[in-house]
Amino acid sequence: MRARRPIYLCAALLAVGSVMELSAQTPSTFIVESPTMQTGEMMPRKYSPDGPNLSPPLTWRGLPAETRQIAVICQDHGAGNPPPWVHWIIYNIPGNATGLPEGIPFESTDPMPREITGATHGNNGWGLSMYRGPAPPRNSVHHYHFAVFALNTELDLPPGLTRNELLEAIDGHVIGEGHMMPIYERQPADQDTIPSNSIHGSWND
Amino acid sequence: MTKYPRKKSPLADRTEQTASKITRRDLLKAAGAAGAAALIPTSLKGASSAATPILDGAVQGSAAMPPGAPLINLTARETEILAAMVDRLIPSDELGIGALEADALGYIDRTLSENGPDSVESYRTGLAALDRYSEYTRGARFIELSERDQDSALIDVQTGGASGAGVGFVGGSGSFFNMVKSHTWQGTFGDPHYGGNREFAGWDLIDYPGVRMRVTEEDQEQLEAEELEPERRSAYELAMFRAGRPR
Repeated sequence: MRARRPIYLCAALLAVGSVMELSAQTPSTFIVESPTMQTGEMMPRKYSPDGPNLSPPLTWRGLPAETRQIAVICQDHGAGNPPPWVHWIIYNIPGNATGLPEGIPFESTDPMPREITGATHGNNGWGLSMYRGPAPPRNSVHHYHFAVFALNTELDLPPGLTRNELLEAIDGHVIGEGHMMPIYERQPADQDTIPSNSIHGSWND
Repeated sequence: MTKYPRKKSPLADRTEQTASKITRRDLLKAAGAAGAAALIPTSLKGASSAATPILDGAVQGSAAMPPGAPLINLTARETEILAAMVDRLIPSDELGIGALEADALGYIDRTLSENGPDSVESYRTGLAALDRYSEYTRGARFIELSERDQDSALIDVQTGGASGAGVGFVGGSGSFFNMVKSHTWQGTFGDPHYGGNREFAGWDLIDYPGVRMRVTEEDQEQLEAEELEPERRSAYELAMFRAGRPR
């Protein structure tokens, strides 16, 4: 079962690569971090439907000086038909923002936090304009790819864009990218065990 | 008599529109108007004669069950959870009444009576799972959560995220959500003959003009001018439908 892991990691990395090709320029890379998550490490339960399903905090640094706007996608390259399954899209983020706070409002009528005023949600895989955290099939580990794009212009994009619509809209404006990829395995109430990082089972969301 | 809490911020709006520019009334109009008069639940098409007096009570615009009355098929605790859920699906707000005022709960109870034990069990299992899910993920029973957390929990139930949380949803949590949502809409916008839509409140909410056998040119003009007086009667008050009414 463990032997499958490199295959999925390769698939995920290839998918990252394909996203990086969307700009004609060669975007620089910058650092994406989180005070509560790390690449390859288990996401806290609170960012999933095993918890209150809060959107996770992200920070970034080293963006190109010309950055005018930022967009973020969270996607699971091991789910969806075709992949990826999209968990979160948020864009129109001011270029001077240094990250996203935890628990961004899911109500479209609620204002965004002051530091990301103007940001708006796109539609995730459920057709909802909000963050919806990971809930893969039990006993399987999925990778959740947070992709952050630095844009060289301010795009006044309408709310509710799908992933493809967003990628098309920002094509040619991406001057930098940063990525992180934590993992998640269900932490059900009826299992008093700490989830392992073993890979088995089917892939879902 | 139980007074259920009144809340705002309709879940139905948020989960069924993508652009968030549509008002609740617009949404409900679009979804409910087309089928409002003809919304005959299959579960009641073959209603037993024993149920007819209750249904007749609803026809006369005075539903048999007063708001907040205990339900026949669910415990008080289950009814509390269901009421809170139904209230988030179509809450009362500045635009009008919600599902509770329209007696969607009474409609659901009648539907459960007609559908039988399996349907009742589906509700009991789902409501218990929803309560456990709320406690596990948000630290309190569903009825104790804030409106925002109730909505958040229901979104997870609707999107299937609550499935696999080990709280007892049988099958997908989305199936339970859709079952309750369907019954809530039927109980709010269906023909009052079947219970629910108390005093035609659901039809008023979506400006449904009522069951009409003919629409004159003048009626049409008044309708477009939003001046048409709604027909406040069940289809089964019309002779041609009375003959085919459910027994």
